[in-house]
Amino acid sequence: MLNGSEDGKRSLHGLSALADGELDPAATLQACAQWQGDAAARASWHAYHLIGDVMRSDDLVSDTAHDASFLKALRTRLAAEPVVLAPQRVEAGARGMEAAAERRAARGSRWSWLAPAAVAAGFMAVASVLVVTRGGAPLPGASDSLAESPARGSAVLTAALPAPGAGPVPAANVPGEPETLVVDGKLVRDARLERYFAAHSQFGGSSALGVPSGFLRAATTQTPDR
Amino acid sequence: MNVDVDAPLIERVKQGDTRAFEMLVVKYQRRIERLIGRMVRDVDLVPDIAQESFIRAYRAIPQFRGDSAFYTWLYRIAVNTAKKALMELKRDPLVSETALASRDEDDETSRVENELSDGETPESIMASKQIAGAVNAAIEALSDDLRQAIVLREIEGLSYEEIAEVMNCPIGTVRSRIFRAREAIAQRLRPMLDARAGDRW
Repeated sequence: MLNGSEDGKRSLHGLSALADGELDPAATLQACAQWQGDAAARASWHAYHLIGDVMRSDDLVSDTAHDASFLKALRTRLAAEPVVLAPQRVEAGARGMEAAAERRAARGSRWSWLAPAAVAAGFMAVASVLVVTRGGAPLPGASDSLAESPARGSAVLTAALPAPGAGPVPAANVPGEPETLVVDGKLVRDARLERYFAAHSQFGGSSALGVPSGFLRAATTQTPDR
Repeated sequence: MNVDVDAPLIERVKQGDTRAFEMLVVKYQRRIERLIGRMVRDVDLVPDIAQESFIRAYRAIPQFRGDSAFYTWLYRIAVNTAKKALMELKRDPLVSETALASRDEDDETSRVENELSDGETPESIMASKQIAGAVNAAIEALSDDLRQAIVLREIEGLSYEEIAEVMNCPIGTVRSRIFRAREAIAQRLRPMLDARAGDRW
């Protein structure tokens, strides 16, 4: 993750790519966080677009102070607007993570605000969990469920759940506006997910209550015969 | 290029991320203000109508399906917002500050001049010329590779993939050349921009 300050240049690199629409969703999320937290990044974002505008037409040169105050005024008005939410298509690659996030949200987990961050952190989580479950299998429930899972998709689902347990990764990704993420996590609906939940709700037993780790809870809910 | 360059940010906005919308505002605000400025003579109204246009776009963004480019869609919203504002002005003439200022002088011609001035002071015209000059000089000073990459991107509107084909190099190289070109130009601009914007971004 690009959170170190020594990555400033590298992350401006990302902003430049985003200006051209050539950045993947996870990196875009990161760029948004950077936009919020880093004044130099904001100035660079403005400069990159100003440069493009000036290259295309001399009469698009504008007063930076004007541009900045325009944004400030708009931000005030935006704050008074309800947060927009559009129904989302679940991307193929992130389906498992989305499902996991959705399920957490549906069960009222205190981690539900992390749902979108889980998508971003998903691949890392998948990788680390696979390492954990293969290396010595310290959590029998987890390996059982992996072994029994009928589809590759549920393995991803199981693996994605520990994302909140991974703590610093999603937290660093989403420094602000958790309230929008909560709404996001709760309102995203997908027919396939609904069918999935309907089919699997019988497995969502209470045997996981009291287990402190999200990982363990995830593993047990994946095991049909408990 | 078929995919909208703004698609990644629009996805974020649709998921409730206002930061992504702010980034789009910074990207398009100059073009939208210029567009409105051509429709509405009263320069004091231009930023207001532009603000209103962006707010409307924000409200409507869940309905944006990407059938056209985001900018085309935004452009339409701005045109409609400006038209509506003009109609309201006709019905209910509003005395703007520009009009008030010229009324003090009680002189028809000074009012016309004021409307034609486009809100620009000699200082801001100077500054604009400086910025444009600095950008052009910085582009001249770039190495051929960097200049070609940024021109293909910004003027020709080619995607990284297309530029990679034209320049016969990997996409990663295109990405890095464009970034380096932008940074080199921005480096020359920063003293001018910082002096005027301070810490406000």
